[in-house]
Amino acid sequence: MSDSFRRDLVDLVPRLRRFARSLVGNAQDADDLVQAACERALRSPDLFRPGTRMDSWMYRIIQNLWLDDRRRSRTRGTTIDPDDVYLSDEGKAAQQPEDRMMLAQVRGAMASLPDAQRQVLALIAVEGLSYKETAEVLDVPIGTVMSRLSRAREALLPKLGLSEGRRQ
Amino acid sequence: MIRHTALDKDRLAAFADGELAPEEAAAVVMHLADHPQDQAYVDDLMAANAALAQAFAAPLSEPVPQALRDLILGPSQPAAEVVAFPAARRRGGVAVWGGPGLALAAGLAVAVFLPNGGAPDLSPGPLAQGSDLHAALQALPAGEVQVMSDGAEVMILGSLPTPDGYCREIEVMRSDAGRLDAALACTRGQGWAVEVVIVENLEEAARSEGFGTASGDEAQGFAPFLDRIGAGTFMSPEDEAAAMAGGWLR
Repeated sequence: MSDSFRRDLVDLVPRLRRFARSLVGNAQDADDLVQAACERALRSPDLFRPGTRMDSWMYRIIQNLWLDDRRRSRTRGTTIDPDDVYLSDEGKAAQQPEDRMMLAQVRGAMASLPDAQRQVLALIAVEGLSYKETAEVLDVPIGTVMSRLSRAREALLPKLGLSEGRRQ
Repeated sequence: MIRHTALDKDRLAAFADGELAPEEAAAVVMHLADHPQDQAYVDDLMAANAALAQAFAAPLSEPVPQALRDLILGPSQPAAEVVAFPAARRRGGVAVWGGPGLALAAGLAVAVFLPNGGAPDLSPGPLAQGSDLHAALQALPAGEVQVMSDGAEVMILGSLPTPDGYCREIEVMRSDAGRLDAALACTRGQGWAVEVVIVENLEEAARSEGFGTASGDEAQGFAPFLDRIGAGTFMSPEDEAAAMAGGWLR
């Protein structure tokens, strides 16, 4: 495995942690997920095709591991600790108390979405991927991405005090 | 007719998400000009996207956790390379010292001494002009190590603006005594004064299994103080150099 592969992977870690946190909501579980994904990538670096995007590849590994974990844990109930959702970054992302409340609200709203919708929003709104890239990461048709995105927003916007999300 | 009917939500969403080709986007912009309801919806989508991006942004301004770095690069990486030192927007990080032979990460047992609690070596209070520490605060760029006259090594971890001056995070390591002091010194309109001190015992730290991460909750020792005085985020090297050139005066 080349040094540049390892170096590229380290450089991706902050974004992978962000993605994992937007999925998991719990900082420690999110880091565990990133760690498991990196272990998997390091075990099978040949699965990465040079010339393709390593970030998409890693997002895919993360979301697959996360879904596996969710399936296993479904019987055990939710893995999201509400306290963690609300306090996960010690206010680092916001300067003002009202901003913190808003961001806590956003994290709470995100955590309340069904998995498939949360994935799509995490990739598009948090990670900034295009619909097409998101479809590739999730291995679903682009129309599926759009319909999940639309449903996610219908649920999310009212929770943020934004649009009613009901207009056609 | 595009100008007279509301666009469907998916198209507005595609516009907000930057999915449309330039000419399609231009058509939507024209449409929005006389459809305030659609404009309001697009505004909401963009606000939600921005809020989502911000809500989970913390890891982008934190160093890569040591455990992950070791996993990917191998455990032989010296700690000096471990931390993305004063990462642009990192907030209140207790630092990782990259001193010779000491792979010490923060996040171990730390004790916080507030100004009246006292700490043996680096104590809260105004710093005398001409002292080593004062000189380092005035002129040492973040990330560089300076050896003080008593043999202790001092490093500035980063600088932050405050409403009435600046704060700088300092680490003073006395390897012979097995101590690492992290402190926050601020100007607050006058000369430099040490505001908060955090002491770590290096031996204890070195005995702990693993080296933890520098980005955990434990690394937030200075955050409450910084929040209370309304400090901003870490300055870029350029901004820091400019503040230094101005004598740290507002």
